[in-house]
Amino acid sequence: MTVLTKQPRGAAPASASPGGAPRIRPSRRRKQRSGYLFLLPWFLGMLFTVIPFFASLYLAFTDYNLFTEPNFVGLANFQAMFEDPRLIQSLKVTFIYTFVSVPISLAVALLVALVLNRGLQGLSIYRSVYYLPSLLGGSVAIVMLWRYIFGNDGIVNGFLGIFGIQGPAWVTDPQFSLSTLIVLNVWTFGSPMVIFLAGLRQVPGMYYEAASIDGASKWRQFRSITLPLISPIIFFNLIMQLIGSFQTFTQGYVMSGGTGGPADSTLFYNLYLYQKGFTEFEMGYASAMAWLLLMIIAIFTAINFIASKFWVFYDN
Amino acid sequence: MKKTTNTPIPRRVVLGAAVVAAGLALSACGGGGAGTSGAGSSGGNVELNFVFWGDANRAKMTEAALRIFEKKNPGITVKTEYQDSAPYADKLATRFAGGNPPDVLAMANRSLLEYAQRGTLADLKSLPELNLDKVPETTLSRGEVDGKLYGLATGVTTIGMVVNKTITDQAGVTIPDDKTWSWEDYAKFATEVTQKTGGKVYGAGYDVATETGPIMLARQRGEDFYTKDNKLGVSEKTIEDWFQYSVDLRKAGGYPPAGFFEQIGGSPAQSYLAKGTVASQIIPINNFRGYNEAVEGEVVLLRIPGETSGERRGYSADPTMLWSIAAKSKHPKEAAKLVDFLTNDAEGAAEVLTQRGVPINPEVADSITPKLSADDKTFVNLMAAIQEEDLPPAYVYPKGASVVADTLKQLTTEVEFGRISPADAAKTFMEKSNAAINK
Repeated sequence: MTVLTKQPRGAAPASASPGGAPRIRPSRRRKQRSGYLFLLPWFLGMLFTVIPFFASLYLAFTDYNLFTEPNFVGLANFQAMFEDPRLIQSLKVTFIYTFVSVPISLAVALLVALVLNRGLQGLSIYRSVYYLPSLLGGSVAIVMLWRYIFGNDGIVNGFLGIFGIQGPAWVTDPQFSLSTLIVLNVWTFGSPMVIFLAGLRQVPGMYYEAASIDGASKWRQFRSITLPLISPIIFFNLIMQLIGSFQTFTQGYVMSGGTGGPADSTLFYNLYLYQKGFTEFEMGYASAMAWLLLMIIAIFTAINFIASKFWVFYDN
Repeated sequence: MKKTTNTPIPRRVVLGAAVVAAGLALSACGGGGAGTSGAGSSGGNVELNFVFWGDANRAKMTEAALRIFEKKNPGITVKTEYQDSAPYADKLATRFAGGNPPDVLAMANRSLLEYAQRGTLADLKSLPELNLDKVPETTLSRGEVDGKLYGLATGVTTIGMVVNKTITDQAGVTIPDDKTWSWEDYAKFATEVTQKTGGKVYGAGYDVATETGPIMLARQRGEDFYTKDNKLGVSEKTIEDWFQYSVDLRKAGGYPPAGFFEQIGGSPAQSYLAKGTVASQIIPINNFRGYNEAVEGEVVLLRIPGETSGERRGYSADPTMLWSIAAKSKHPKEAAKLVDFLTNDAEGAAEVLTQRGVPINPEVADSITPKLSADDKTFVNLMAAIQEEDLPPAYVYPKGASVVADTLKQLTTEVEFGRISPADAAKTFMEKSNAAINK
């Protein structure tokens, strides 16, 4: 709507009747039409979101197999989930991945942002260098690259070999495969880092001046000034990373060739959902899984919002 | 010109233009992929959508054959789509689900029953345009479900053992006679290769997780991995032995350590045989030429071990993949004509050669033999020799066969890293597979 109200002001001052006359002049109608035209992609996008949204809600209560008409089965899909060991495994994988990689990548992002905030020369270059991986993070090419880096003949094992260490099979050993993906996720800390950097820029320098006159150490300044002032940014990053992490798919899919292997060690929840829907033709079950994920994400986001009252500090 | 920008364009004109543009876009999509040589495409032209999986080379050969088809069948154009097997399977499922199935399609053995029993495929026997007179009954039976023919083999193949003879010669190891060798002989041979190359080359390098291995072993022991009534017929003992065999071979040094194989199943050029880190591998034998070209040195094609030392033969002539026609195809007649062409036309087969296995029409197979390279002849001759022997029957894969394949893959890793014993893995395999089949 902002687009609509703003547009006449900038584009054609002549037509904008200041009083907002109820009668719409033809020229204005044309302007409105172009406004709606610009909004059309959004409406179409909503259409493609809303329809599948309700379709999947309905399908979650059916035995839809992609080929024949769905039959209503009530809560059977949700009940079946409790007895599905692979579903529980996929939850385990996703939770471990989330709760290990999100805190680490946030900590790394904040650390790098603090360093960059000190006014390095060529800051924008560093910013780009650190940001680049996260732009590509979920992409197929990067995951393939990761596969090669951590492969048996990859750079990592080659490096370890210099010291006479026989590196493990990072990708094919179920003991290490998930950790390899966690490292990949931490490496793509760029987007929270850029947001942290923006947040740090907002902290008024005079606070630090005052603190240093009072003789506060750097650590003390960080704890008492920086952290509370950027806590809303931390909170925002935490929520975004958490949601993104629960929805991880590409990394697991590419790394394991779509299987979630080795031995289900990278069977992310979304990957299993995909397998159920498209290789086992249990779209009803897959839809139910999607709704369970929605609920899980909603619960965790809610918990975070409640907890935020105790640690997030809003300036005004 | 300036005038037109100010005067509002009548809505009807805009609408009309949009419709024309949409029409143009659609027709461009339609004609684009086929690369047709403009075979008199006037009114009444039928366009078939034909999808298959494979690489660019396969696509090139297929297109060449399709151009001949279009020339022989004026009024029919064929629009093709292809991709790798995993995305292909996903896309196929989505297209059927969306009510927009292709007319003619390549179908994997393990998916046939799944699609057939859901009524998505046409009975090929009901289409008179498709002539099946020359096709052997045993080949037809691999696409039959409840007396109806839902898939017709694109060609037949089987698995075999390839050995890099240059490596074994240098190591001074003799390759055993493949007509009589047992699995023990193979283990002994593999271990010897590893020892004599100082551990630089592992003697054995086959993929434990691919189901064709245990399928063959089961048959050699008198069991059917999948039975006539579409159930799991393999015994727990056979699966346990299949796992135990690789564990023992690894312990002896003939098989690489856990985690060694990272991307098995890729192209011959990416294989460990081509890298020279293993001396032997099990392959689908129609890929023999690819391996011989990718590997530096001489590669020999052998029969699978245990064929004569076992209870009965393990071999069967297996469909590489199957041709199917969608039940909802708007042009079943033309689709049947295309499948007939792909099966019975010697001129078309001369373009595709053995790209999808040995042609199932023996006359067509004979007609292309002179055109084959030496390596392809080796494979065709082995296939012919095997087919002349007394082979046990083989059946359509049951519903849920893809879950069985996935289960085998997971358990193979568990066994590989010693997380579970072969006996426990076999037990789990039976439980999970039986639960997944025909549920």
